[in-house]
Amino acid sequence: MKTYEAIGAIETFGLVFVLEACDAMCKAANVELVGYENVASGYISVIVQGDVAACQSAVEAGIKAVEQLGAKVYSSVVIASPHGDLNKMIDRYQLSNLLPAEEGDA
Amino acid sequence: MRYRGEEALGLVETIGLVPALKAADEMLKAANVELISYENIGSTLVTVMIKGDIAAVEASVAAGAKAADEIGTLTAQNVMPRPISYVGDIVSVHDIDQ
Repeated sequence: MKTYEAIGAIETFGLVFVLEACDAMCKAANVELVGYENVASGYISVIVQGDVAACQSAVEAGIKAVEQLGAKVYSSVVIASPHGDLNKMIDRYQLSNLLPAEEGDA
Repeated sequence: MRYRGEEALGLVETIGLVPALKAADEMLKAANVELISYENIGSTLVTVMIKGDIAAVEASVAAGAKAADEIGTLTAQNVMPRPISYVGDIVSVHDIDQ
């Protein structure tokens, strides 16, 4: 099981703002999206990974983008060196587990 | 991992996923404890459960609760020194390895 480098996460309300945050995060720095979760009642989170500085820039950019749309970011975090067991939590939210299978997928 | 109530149980519950992730990270780093269960239980609540020695669990829950409170909303924290095995069964329903 691979361990994650630094991770950055943002939680906000509704899909519109989460998509905006995700877009801003991935364009702002060299990070990749590793997880997406609709917790409940419109609380949706996106998790990215990259090096620490990239995650910090990405989270800042994501928060800024959401606030520019007039929405509120509920919470955000950058974890510089996640504990090994956090993988188990984050892995639950991997997009590959959520997407419908495509032709050619094993 | 299967938990049967043989060790102390620590719980931290937050609103949303982000404080829960942070809390879990702090809990696991603060003391010698193991992550046993984790669940998005609905209504925006996310719960992280750990086990270990009573002193380790107390230190761990205190650190996790503090971290969650700093970046988001902490809804509950608890340390159960010696839960009965039925509590272990309920916790194991949400086993992290499943």
